[in-house]
Amino acid sequence: MSSGATFDAVEPGDDLPAITVDLSRDYVKAHATELGMAFPRFTDDEGAKKEGLPGMIAPGNMTLALLARELLAWAPGGRVLRLGTTFRGLALAGTTIQLLGTVTEKDDERRTVECDVWMETPEGDRCVIGTATVQLP
Amino acid sequence: MAFADIDRAVIGREYDRLTYPPVTTEELISYAKTLGVTDPIYLDEDAAKNGPFGGLVAFPTFVVKLRGNQHMPKEVAKEMSAGGFDAGKDIEFGVPIRPGDVITATSTITELYEKTGRSGSMWFVVFRQHLTNQSGETVANVDSRIMQRGRAPKGA
Repeated sequence: MSSGATFDAVEPGDDLPAITVDLSRDYVKAHATELGMAFPRFTDDEGAKKEGLPGMIAPGNMTLALLARELLAWAPGGRVLRLGTTFRGLALAGTTIQLLGTVTEKDDERRTVECDVWMETPEGDRCVIGTATVQLP
Repeated sequence: MAFADIDRAVIGREYDRLTYPPVTTEELISYAKTLGVTDPIYLDEDAAKNGPFGGLVAFPTFVVKLRGNQHMPKEVAKEMSAGGFDAGKDIEFGVPIRPGDVITATSTITELYEKTGRSGSMWFVVFRQHLTNQSGETVANVDSRIMQRGRAPKGA
């Protein structure tokens, strides 16, 4: 845990380490099923296409969880106090996405930081954007 | 009936309440595992004892699994039945969920609004799930925004 971000060491403008995630179909299907959301759009390409989508997509509830995973991988032992997300585009299964973020503010009293976080498609589109408040060790 | 005609009295009224069976260690671990979390405080009871929470806790976004019985009140769901999309979520996290916790989810509509852009009108429903544990502590407030392309009322 000592290698994670700490409040004293973090400054606005710092980038969170980028995390690359293979959104394989098996991974998306398994997590959608875990969420109780095993709907065609999240479990098979044909079912998704019938709904007018280009193929299977990751549920929004999975993409926001991945952003939380990014934050807590950066600051293990920290606490995410708030996470706000906007699902702007499709996180397509079978693609490799990147989780990125940056520190925007620091609150000395609460020992929290504000972060911008986002998920980027292989084309560089930000398909999910968000902001978070994180209490750091 | 159209989106604009939905009685706004629905806003703020609790329309769903569900108390879940006690949360199990297995379901907390399963959620974290399928997401790809590697921190042992969410995966390993023994290792978690030395962690910041003194025991295993749910990975925070486990709360999105607890969606209650009824997605929306009937009068709203009727107008949003043409394939809505999850447009985003805002979550405030309270105390962590631990094995054995009994979580109650209550749901209320917080906003109903329409936006008109270049591609026409879009309808938005925002609902809040307030999650508490057996001690009455807030576990999370989960605000969900559901969006649907607007359509003309029947007969128009």
